[in-house]
Amino acid sequence: MSILLPRTITRRRVLRSVLDGAAVTLALPFLDCALNGNGTALAASGKPLPLRFGTWYWGMGHTPGHAIAEKAQTGSGIGFLEETAALKPLADQLNFFSGFGMPLDGRSNYTHFTGWVGNRTGSVPQKEGEIASPTLDLLIADTIGAGTRFKTLDASSAGIARENYSARSTESRAQAEISPVALYTRLFGPDFVDPNAGTFQPDPAVMLEKSVLSAFVEQNRDFSRTLGAEDRRRLDEYFTSIRQLENRLALQLEKPVPNEVCVRPARPAEPAPDKLAQVREIPNVIETHAIMAKLLAMAVACNQTRVFNMVFTDNFANVRKKGETYTHHLLTHTEMIDPSRGYQPMAFWFNQRCSEAFAAYLATLASIREGSGTLLDNCLIFAASETNYAKLHTIDSIPVWLAGKAAGRIKTGLHVVGGGDPITRVGLTAMKIMGVPLRNWGTKSLQTSKPITEVMV
Amino acid sequence: MSGWKGGSHVGVALSAALALAACVPNEPPSAGAPATLRRLSNDQYRNIIADVFGPQITVAGQADALQRSYGLLAVGASKAEITPSGYEKYYAMARSVARQAVSLDNRASVVPCTPRSAAEPDENCAQQFFVKVGRLLYRRPLAPAELALVLRMAGEGARLRQDFYGGLEVGLVGMLQSPQFLFVVDTLEPDPAHAGKPRLTAYARAARLSLLLWNTSPNEQLLTAAEHGALDGAAGRKDIVDRMLSSPRVEAGVRAFFEDFLRFDQFETLEKDSVIYPAFSVRVVEDAREQVLRTVLKHVLDKRADYRDLFTTRDTFITGSLARIYRVPTAKPEGSAWVPYEFPDDDPRAGLLTEVGFAALASHPGRSSPTLRGRAIRENLLCQKVPDPPGNVDFSRFESADAQKKTARERLALHSTNAACAGCHKITDPIGLALENLDGIGQFRSTENGVVIDASGTLDGVPFNDAAGLGRAMRDNPATTSCVVQRLASYSLGRNTTGSDKPFVDYLGQSFARDDYDFLELLRRVALSETLFAVAPPVGASSGVQTARMEP
Amino acid sequence: MRRAPRAVRLGLCLALLATAVPSAQAESKSGTQTLGFVIRDWFTSVYNSKFVDECPEGIAISNDEVWWRSLPRADRARLTGNGLIQQLNRMPTAMQRGPNGENVCLSPASVKDPPMRVVEGKYSYGVDLDGRSNSAATPRSCPHQNFTHPDGTPGIDNQMYRLVGCVYGWRKGGLPELNAHEGRGTSGLGMTLVEITGVTDPRNSPDVTVTFYRSVNQFALDGNGKPLPYSSYNVDMAGNKPRYGDSLKGSIKNGVLTTMRGDVRLPFYGNYNFLHPSIRDMGLRLEIAADGATAKGLVTGYYNMDEFLYYVGGMVGHTSTADDCPAMYVAAHELADGYPDPKTGQCTHLSAAFDLTAYAAFVVHPEAQRSKR
Repeated sequence: MSILLPRTITRRRVLRSVLDGAAVTLALPFLDCALNGNGTALAASGKPLPLRFGTWYWGMGHTPGHAIAEKAQTGSGIGFLEETAALKPLADQLNFFSGFGMPLDGRSNYTHFTGWVGNRTGSVPQKEGEIASPTLDLLIADTIGAGTRFKTLDASSAGIARENYSARSTESRAQAEISPVALYTRLFGPDFVDPNAGTFQPDPAVMLEKSVLSAFVEQNRDFSRTLGAEDRRRLDEYFTSIRQLENRLALQLEKPVPNEVCVRPARPAEPAPDKLAQVREIPNVIETHAIMAKLLAMAVACNQTRVFNMVFTDNFANVRKKGETYTHHLLTHTEMIDPSRGYQPMAFWFNQRCSEAFAAYLATLASIREGSGTLLDNCLIFAASETNYAKLHTIDSIPVWLAGKAAGRIKTGLHVVGGGDPITRVGLTAMKIMGVPLRNWGTKSLQTSKPITEVMV
Repeated sequence: MSGWKGGSHVGVALSAALALAACVPNEPPSAGAPATLRRLSNDQYRNIIADVFGPQITVAGQADALQRSYGLLAVGASKAEITPSGYEKYYAMARSVARQAVSLDNRASVVPCTPRSAAEPDENCAQQFFVKVGRLLYRRPLAPAELALVLRMAGEGARLRQDFYGGLEVGLVGMLQSPQFLFVVDTLEPDPAHAGKPRLTAYARAARLSLLLWNTSPNEQLLTAAEHGALDGAAGRKDIVDRMLSSPRVEAGVRAFFEDFLRFDQFETLEKDSVIYPAFSVRVVEDAREQVLRTVLKHVLDKRADYRDLFTTRDTFITGSLARIYRVPTAKPEGSAWVPYEFPDDDPRAGLLTEVGFAALASHPGRSSPTLRGRAIRENLLCQKVPDPPGNVDFSRFESADAQKKTARERLALHSTNAACAGCHKITDPIGLALENLDGIGQFRSTENGVVIDASGTLDGVPFNDAAGLGRAMRDNPATTSCVVQRLASYSLGRNTTGSDKPFVDYLGQSFARDDYDFLELLRRVALSETLFAVAPPVGASSGVQTARMEP
Repeated sequence: MRRAPRAVRLGLCLALLATAVPSAQAESKSGTQTLGFVIRDWFTSVYNSKFVDECPEGIAISNDEVWWRSLPRADRARLTGNGLIQQLNRMPTAMQRGPNGENVCLSPASVKDPPMRVVEGKYSYGVDLDGRSNSAATPRSCPHQNFTHPDGTPGIDNQMYRLVGCVYGWRKGGLPELNAHEGRGTSGLGMTLVEITGVTDPRNSPDVTVTFYRSVNQFALDGNGKPLPYSSYNVDMAGNKPRYGDSLKGSIKNGVLTTMRGDVRLPFYGNYNFLHPSIRDMGLRLEIAADGATAKGLVTGYYNMDEFLYYVGGMVGHTSTADDCPAMYVAAHELADGYPDPKTGQCTHLSAAFDLTAYAAFVVHPEAQRSKR
């Protein structure tokens, strides 16, 4: 719903007047931009279901030797150990990747940063905070993201909006939604068009809004031309952003395809003040994550987006257990290894929660029936941390999961052993599966043109 | 909109400072840097909306935070882009502000005319409105094409909605989501004094001044003064700067600088464990941040005291929630009532570093951290870079010992046994350990795990015994003043100062010393400097100087 | 350690009122310090055995039960005719059973109920107030049975416990006590401040003065509803004088404050009733935790019986106290053991003991604060 116009105004009147107003192009028909050839159409229409891509992030890697059994070579059977036991029931939806490397070409390992940047962008940062290339989710969104309200969605249960792992560049890094209520409002608030509402009438207010935006965009392009090259480049992202909003408004004017799977969820409750003051305490993180998982899953099922990023805990794992003076991050560096168990018990406890959360996330996606399978069957989820063993900040053999069946485009149940190959092979594989037209990906020693064919159908 | 004739913060002292101006070196020439776009900070956005439409307008939500660059969000603003989700937030804010601005309650004060009929377009009145408001939002008069567009949109809107004000709302949304509003634009014109070279337009100069001194866009009076050439010459500019510095609004400018300088955006994600620190609460977060700012504002604005004494001052303000953490009585224990407070002479607390704001911010959620504190002192207050921890440290050597060590000093001593760690930890830890008498939220303690805390150390060769001693060493450290000078220079210019800016920064540093480290005088020198307005020709501009387009 | 003296001072929460309060200022010159506490828990000290051995006849019969038993069968049938009349509904009805419809809690002498079941056990908490371990009277007390403390100390006087110890609502976890406690926590009414002056060493001071005030500020609570130590509380003033302010002399040994006995009037709020009970021969024993942040204590003395009966009678609804006002009125008069009325010989006070917890606090004297400004 728009504030700009009461609903009593007819669509015809808007069209007439806006067009009379001249100089304003109303981008009709919207269908052209709303749907592309890659998927679209939903179960009700009998057409193929769209393919979706998600990322899932957790901080601090895992406990080598206690998370996944080591393997000498690629083969079926993932080898879940104590730390990842929660994922075992989902084995047929998972592939695990170990033994892939991240050569630094003489650059520093910026601890807890280089790992995720290299893994997600294919380029190792030259300095702290640098993100030189776009993250893979955005490359995938460029390919499959059109025709949905949101090209990508970013949510985080870690409570820090900035700590989000989707970026075009250092300066253009998306911030995550950290409040479940805000996420809900964005997805299912007043602007949500229920595809199953019996009647559909394009909202003239939205048409007006869209025409105003289009007019201003034209003027702002004139403005942009007066700027220096660098500032023009910076404004490109602004124009991309507006275009996405225009597309969103366009979709609101289009009769949505009925979709029996899509049910507007209930609005989450406002968190109690004591929880708001302790958002990074593990039970609260888990609760936020569960709510967000449900919202994201339904947003995907409702075709609001096809690319969605979830952060469970951030790369500095600023999460904690009540009464414990060390955060997860600090524990990985200072906690003693219990000789009888062979690992740091508290850090392990946190790692276990991460595995459980990932399992819960996947289960949430799998809980939505879609066609003859589940939503998860039509997704590919790229899940990774920034380190292998946080205690030592190792970035070789960073654990990576690919989850979901990607609409039958991926084989599952495999433990893929990288043998020191660049970790970008996993990202490239994901992008190939998602149809990104890439010959190779990554820079310097991370460049690769070899997807992992063993998992590709 | 507030004019600039307000209460006098500075009056007398300024003239005293002027008397000394004769011994101050001259400002060196500056080549300037290319013009740029600076994204508004959330505070600037709020201030501008309040100035233009009135303080009763609520700006619901906020845009994405700026990213810090070279120690400052203000430098990050010159690089900031607007991501799709970030734009969504701006758009939502624009809709909300525009709706409120023309609402029944506010239209009388916001719209300068009455339409012929509230139910239909009135181009004349709409024009008056957008000429007035557009000039304030874009920080310059609207170009004819800009005005024509917004009037057309407002006219369409009014016709469709059968509501004149609804039409204004439509136009306002368009303006509020425009880059001309969301970014502060360095508009250029040919410099009559230097053929072929650009200079900032008078409007762009007014914007730089206003954002620096008041953290908001230029108001009507300043724009008009600029339009009439008041910022073209030194005398007129001095007059304007002094009037702006005399206004109570300068508090917003000084506050904004110190919030950025001290990295107080970190308070937004500050959390403490509620079992370990039951006295810590959301209110403490707010109060601790505000306490430091109030201490600073009183010191540099009201008392015009030596900037360096911020590190030793015992003069501050407290609320009930802070008094509890400081373990001192207050007559106003409830709510957030502020009362002045002076730490007694024998109190171990003195100076900014011992306030809860600093102690809690540079700590972990459940414990203090000498390393984080040392790093914050080095990087934030002394402008020294502390290298990041190497990526290949084996922490095994520390872990088993950690559990047996009672104090942070003992635990950190282990790092000195490892060459890879020792290099950096010796930069941070000795000064961070000076604050170990303050726990993770700044409560005083004399022991840790039953062992008496040793808070002695040295800062760049100057020994001290405790936190107050560290404060004295900070006060006398030359980096303390050079850092704030360098950061203020970068803050005002919106870019990291580089080698070519060194003469300017040196000039400011020398002036600061001669002005007895009077921060407001330093701010005044920046505001009066030629460097603040200096621009180099744009890099890669397709159409060069933009003067023609920008004039109405 | 350079700052050790200061540290100890902080650790024990010595109020920095030296500059704020004229009397404390003098103390400061003489080198003494001030400790402050706010009392949070205040519970009647009751000894409950697991199988209620102390009440051989059972728990006391409540007002509504007395009323119910007094009803003819026909009335009972009528009142439960449709089975919908609930316990809670009949409570207020039960109170209006005086011969002329009086509320028997406000007019407890208007009816004569069966005698109240009181404590007949051997043990009780409390102290020996009259200095005798037999039941004989003294000039300041009436004849009464003594208890033995669970630790073996004989001669314990606690007729308050004897009176209420078999009443369901007054036993541990009973509603009136908890409700009163909750009410004080959230309302900030009836809050007692304890100020200890003349402290030479927070763990050992031979001669201190303990003064009791009422706070006008609410408890400062943490996220779990627990008071935060080291909060400030302003003293309730009537004009230029504190509204309360009775003092006792005392000493601190190894962190335990023990006062001499004297008459003290304290603020009290509970169950929507305000009292300012006079406790005669009151003594306070306060064990201060090593870090000075919290303390546990016991207040003993003779509690004014009329004020207690006024409190009980005025409780709203008597929904869950399960007491019987007329019977308690009679029993209280029989059990009162302190301060006989010179004319009638009827004792006017009940020996009593109260458990309390307290939190370190700054006791702020407003007039002094004003002079500081």
